[in-house]
Amino acid sequence: MADKGNDPAVIWQTMIGEMEKGFNSFANQAMGTPEFSRLMNQAGGFAAGAQKQLGELMERYLVSMNLPSRSQLVGMAERLQSIESQLNEIRALLNQMNRSASNAESPAAAKPRPPRTKRPPGEKEQK
Amino acid sequence: MNAPLGIDAASIAERVQSEVQRAIQRSIKGVEYLSTSGPSLGSTPKDILHVRGTMNLYHYRPVADEIYRVPVLIVMATTNRGYILDLVPGQSFIEFLLKRGYDVYMLDWAAPKPEEKHLGMEDYVLDFIPDCVRRVQQDSGEMDVSVIGYCFGGVLSLLYGSIFRDGPMKNLICFTTPIDFREMKLFSNFSDRRYFDVDRLIDSVGNMPPELILSSFEMLRPASRAASQVQLWDNIWNDEFVKSYRMFDRWATDTLPLAGDYFRTITKDLMWDNKLYNDAMSVGGRAAKLENIKVPILHAVAEHDHIVPYEAARHLITKVGSTDKEEVILKGGHVSLVAGANAIKRLWPKLDSWLGKRST
Repeated sequence: MADKGNDPAVIWQTMIGEMEKGFNSFANQAMGTPEFSRLMNQAGGFAAGAQKQLGELMERYLVSMNLPSRSQLVGMAERLQSIESQLNEIRALLNQMNRSASNAESPAAAKPRPPRTKRPPGEKEQK
Repeated sequence: MNAPLGIDAASIAERVQSEVQRAIQRSIKGVEYLSTSGPSLGSTPKDILHVRGTMNLYHYRPVADEIYRVPVLIVMATTNRGYILDLVPGQSFIEFLLKRGYDVYMLDWAAPKPEEKHLGMEDYVLDFIPDCVRRVQQDSGEMDVSVIGYCFGGVLSLLYGSIFRDGPMKNLICFTTPIDFREMKLFSNFSDRRYFDVDRLIDSVGNMPPELILSSFEMLRPASRAASQVQLWDNIWNDEFVKSYRMFDRWATDTLPLAGDYFRTITKDLMWDNKLYNDAMSVGGRAAKLENIKVPILHAVAEHDHIVPYEAARHLITKVGSTDKEEVILKGGHVSLVAGANAIKRLWPKLDSWLGKRST
């Protein structure tokens, strides 16, 4: 076999790895400066402010067009999620009732929880 | 003729043949990759004990013939889903614990809804965790409960333990848990109080959007996503590599939003004022000093953790009031510490040997 130093696949992977490390380290240095923080937060702040204003404007527009707005759709999604979680709770309760019923009908068929008697392996060996 | 280069003709032919085969495999598997979904994750059988808003409490069905007396409650980080600890059979931390005879519960989080933006730190520490602990006690019939917290789940567990100092927490295990937030240098710079107006952001968006959280994680290693995609293409012929890539990639991008007020407290009390480290933290008016924690504690940290660097985690063990305390530094990163091949041979056996003898 060709030794690993000559293997183009290994050379390629090493190169990618080194480039990744180099770029990450360079970027981390740049991102560690107060200037970066200022610029990033300025841009983020503008984006959040603009997003809020645009959202309010769109909401008014959709109301005037007699269309559901995002907040109304989110409201509907929330109600659906709430129905889903109630269904989950009902399912959990039904499972519990089912287990209790099968316990009552045939105790042998039900799987009881294992006893809480386990000791760590080292302790067992010492006994 | 080939001797001077140290390569023989047969090996070149073999290499070319192997590369051609891989290229063909890449094309076939590449199409397969795009047309199929990844492996099913988080499938260890469990029952939902309780669901309330963002809080989900699961109980995993025991598989051992006998189990340890003390049940274990895992508190997941609020930014990510709990299935990182329950990947596929053979690579699931939960399955490992069940097979070793632990009775396992998990407090996992769902995305907080817009109307839950007012959930604050006190809801998590003084309500959700105590509620889950009570339910674990009721379900298991045991008063003692061991708690395992991963990343920020560890911070929440520390806050809980330092406030509820008289129990019922019997043991505490933290995985990669930061307490000195000054040392999370990039996060600290991103949230520099001179430039980051957290109130304005949260007032605008309600809950902290998951896209912003994911971007801030990815900014810690900006080249890594592109490099991992190149690696995926290189290894797409390798089913095991692809399966593992899909599991971790899906989890890493499945980030949760954070409740608005909770995020405000994290930023102001932890990132800005470093209150946990400075013994000045309080939740809902109740002091949360690490020295109040007296239970046995194990802290596992990763050597190459880029999210929670060792410097941010290293004071935990010295600051808690426990006499039975241990820190282990293991090879790996923030995620590979707890999941995947590295965790199977390093963290999991260590945790089992530490926790087993404290669970009777």
